[in-house]
Amino acid sequence: MKRVLIVDDHSSIRKMIRLALSNRFALEEAGNADVAYAQILAERPDGIVLDVMMPGSMNGFQLCERIKRDRALALMHVVLITACGQIEDQELGRAVGADAYFVKPFSPLALARHLGEALRIGPDGRAA
Amino acid sequence: MSQSPIEAAWQHCPWGMAVISADGSVSAFNAAYGEHLCLSRDDLLGKSEADLDALTAPLPQEYRRVEVLRDDVRAIHFLGDASGTEVNAKHLANIAEMLREPMASVYGFAELLLTQNYDEDTRRDLTAMLLEQVEAMSNIINQEFDSHKWGAPAAVPQLPTPLTQPDPGESR
Repeated sequence: MKRVLIVDDHSSIRKMIRLALSNRFALEEAGNADVAYAQILAERPDGIVLDVMMPGSMNGFQLCERIKRDRALALMHVVLITACGQIEDQELGRAVGADAYFVKPFSPLALARHLGEALRIGPDGRAA
Repeated sequence: MSQSPIEAAWQHCPWGMAVISADGSVSAFNAAYGEHLCLSRDDLLGKSEADLDALTAPLPQEYRRVEVLRDDVRAIHFLGDASGTEVNAKHLANIAEMLREPMASVYGFAELLLTQNYDEDTRRDLTAMLLEQVEAMSNIINQEFDSHKWGAPAAVPQLPTPLTQPDPGESR
């Protein structure tokens, strides 16, 4: 089963995403970017759903940039989910190498479909 | 000992200024910067740029970051009073971002409840979380649109009673 790390400081958002993805992916969670980075190095997930504005030494943009600049991590599929809906925020997301950008509020089922297509996983959790 | 003209300008400038050192942390700031953030010297020195972004994002003050090409200084952050229009526009943008968080939960849980076949306990759990998030949105609106910030009459709280679900056993 492909593994996805959910990173958001709001537990309700993590729970919502977990419910939408749990029948397709093996899931891990982190409440900030520092904890997430340690998990990424240790677990090497296939995909990361990453909030932008979080407490700690890094925000989501900075963590995404760090992942995409590291050859060993760059192939991970990073989806930014953010309350920052301005055009310049989306451009910044593109600039740091994010693979997709979902503005809150977003459809958790659309997120599941996107990750399924990106990681080639069908609705039953098997390779598509 | 008297201040040099540069030191006097730094200390008395109405714009808050914080110096970000090469390692990305706050190495110095002037009095106005500390006042804008209501933080002491010990609280601010050593904070990362991400910490500053998080601290300044909710503020109505105008914020700018200037990249500095020096070995010992990476950037200077400026924080100052903007015009009323700019303040309101920035404040509204901040409120929109604050509302998007609980709104995301409301949208997501509602979509899942509508499309997925969950058992009764899960449905009750999700419905309770939905109501919590609506209450969080209501609190943001009540706090952010109060008379101190906008010069408008104070709003009456819209949720008069705690949001609790009836016990199914009580309906008989």
